[in-house]
Amino acid sequence: MSDVVVVGAGLAGFHTAAALRRLGHQGGLTVLGAEEHAPYDRPPLSKAFLGGSLTAADLALDDPDAPLDVVWERGVRVVGLQAGAAGAPHRVLLADGTDRRAEHVVVATGADAVRLGDHMPGAHVLRTIEDAERLRAERLAGARVVVVGDGFVALEAASTVVELGAASVVVAGPEERPLERRYGPELAASLLALHARRGVVCRGGARAVAVTSGADGRAAGVMLADGTHLDADVVVVGIGARPATAWLAGSAVVRDATGHVDCDARGATSVPGVWAVGDCARWNDEVRGPMRCAGHWQDALDHAATVAAALVGAPAPAVTEPYCWSEQHGVMVQVAGHLAGGERATVLDGSVDGADLLLRYDRDGEEVAVLGMNRPREVTRWRRSRRPRPVPTPLVAAESGPTRSLEDA
Amino acid sequence: MLRVCAMTDLVPGEGLRIDTVVPPIAVFLTEEGTVHAIDDTCTHQDASLAAGWVEDCRVECPLHASTFSLLTGDVDAQPAKKPVRVHAAEVRDGEVWVRLSTAAPNLPPGVTFA
Ligand SMILES: Cc1cc2nc3c(=O)[nH]c(=O)nc-3n(C[C@H](O)[C@H](O)[C@H](O)COP(=O)(O)OP(=O)(O)OC[C@H]3O[C@@H](n4cnc5c(N)ncnc54)[C@H](O)[C@@H]3O)c2cc1C
Ligand code: FES
Repeated sequence: MSDVVVVGAGLAGFHTAAALRRLGHQGGLTVLGAEEHAPYDRPPLSKAFLGGSLTAADLALDDPDAPLDVVWERGVRVVGLQAGAAGAPHRVLLADGTDRRAEHVVVATGADAVRLGDHMPGAHVLRTIEDAERLRAERLAGARVVVVGDGFVALEAASTVVELGAASVVVAGPEERPLERRYGPELAASLLALHARRGVVCRGGARAVAVTSGADGRAAGVMLADGTHLDADVVVVGIGARPATAWLAGSAVVRDATGHVDCDARGATSVPGVWAVGDCARWNDEVRGPMRCAGHWQDALDHAATVAAALVGAPAPAVTEPYCWSEQHGVMVQVAGHLAGGERATVLDGSVDGADLLLRYDRDGEEVAVLGMNRPREVTRWRRSRRPRPVPTPLVAAESGPTRSLEDA
Repeated sequence: MLRVCAMTDLVPGEGLRIDTVVPPIAVFLTEEGTVHAIDDTCTHQDASLAAGWVEDCRVECPLHASTFSLLTGDVDAQPAKKPVRVHAAEVRDGEVWVRLSTAAPNLPPGVTFA
């Protein structure tokens, strides 16, 4: 049996290793991770962990009662990949000058939070346990907080810091109303009203250009493109994440313009025996739409299961609909289905002010997605009603020659 | 035993959350007509299993899709790691009666019921 090295010990890396063992992979399995922590779950970082009701130990992915049979190497940074010639092992290069060799390499390095220029004390992002601990250590009770960005993580952070007693919370985001472009006017209006009821001010059309610094060297606020300065004691920047794939520069692994690793519908990259999963990957998937870009929890699990199956030569798991969730002010928002932009939303039930909307999205007359606010039953029903569809034939792999399976190696 | 609801309160293939007991429990009527009671709160995070999908005597969590057996409480796969408690359920004269488990519940971290 050949060996597998997974680069990146986050959600996707952990679940790739777990799925490989579950599917009976007997060969070596090493997971290299830059963080000092054992793999952990990020969604609570903007929610219950930031709120203080969870500890770092609560976020751990591995089960202490049934730990995975994996060699974990923590605190090691991977700096390069040297693809092996046909059949020969690939070399994964570490910062300390050593390498790890394996027939199969799974790239699972996730993404790094995007900052707004230079960040001084008082300016925060949310991607790691340390980020959340630093924000939690601020004196948030009574503080004026400005959150830059209007995506899920920004809105969740706003909801948690107001719960922690912030005196004022302003969400400064580029959209007129949060998430309107992606999810339509109904959800945007409902979220705006929900945040307003809890005292969070969403300032739309705000293009932030910099975090400003006060005389004490701490963050003093946020400068907007129109010259407005939003004063703040604490600034949270939630403007997205960039794939952490710079270490692949110079390797033969093809990345797209945004730095995502280009993969076929099974996670195979341009280099046979190299695969990519999770936030760092872009799977070209005919079923879910071209150039589908991951970025949510469920994608990491789906990718992991699919790549592990390809590696051991098991049948590919059925392709399920994309899915993500967000929790703000105690309201669970769940989205299932594929939204490419330009869908028409219809309110099936609930109201904008009730924060209990059930929305259906249609594209070209076809129902493609649903969104529920506190509608777990309906969203689950919809997900289950969508029959798994056949896995499309590989695209990238077909052009770049045969992909490796563990059997070939 | 404790009377928790009437059979007419139940919908085949669905769960009903009973929050008059602490922690809350979920009562399920399967498509096959059997009645089961388990803890309502998922052992992973704060989700109500009563809203989950019921199939083959298992319920799938509506948040991250771990499934739990309605018969034994065992969990199939991550993200949940621990089983839920099962409570003995009986139907008498159209009423559902439950004997609550005396085992300690596996509530998810950070979740408490006052
Ligand atoms: C605050 C927050 C809240 C979220 N909430 C939700 C939510 O509610 N719902 C939802 O669906 N999704 C949510 N997500 C998204 C979800 O957490 C991600 O999709 C998921 O973590 C992706 O997993 P990953 O393994 O691809 O990447 P990551 O979790 O980022 O893991 C990548 C790992 O690789 C390591 N690494 C990077 N470069 C190197 C290198 N060169 N060498 C070695 N190791 C390296 C990193 O240190 C990291 O540990 C949230 C994300 C964040 C940050
Ligand atoms: S809350 Fe049930 S699986 Fe996560």
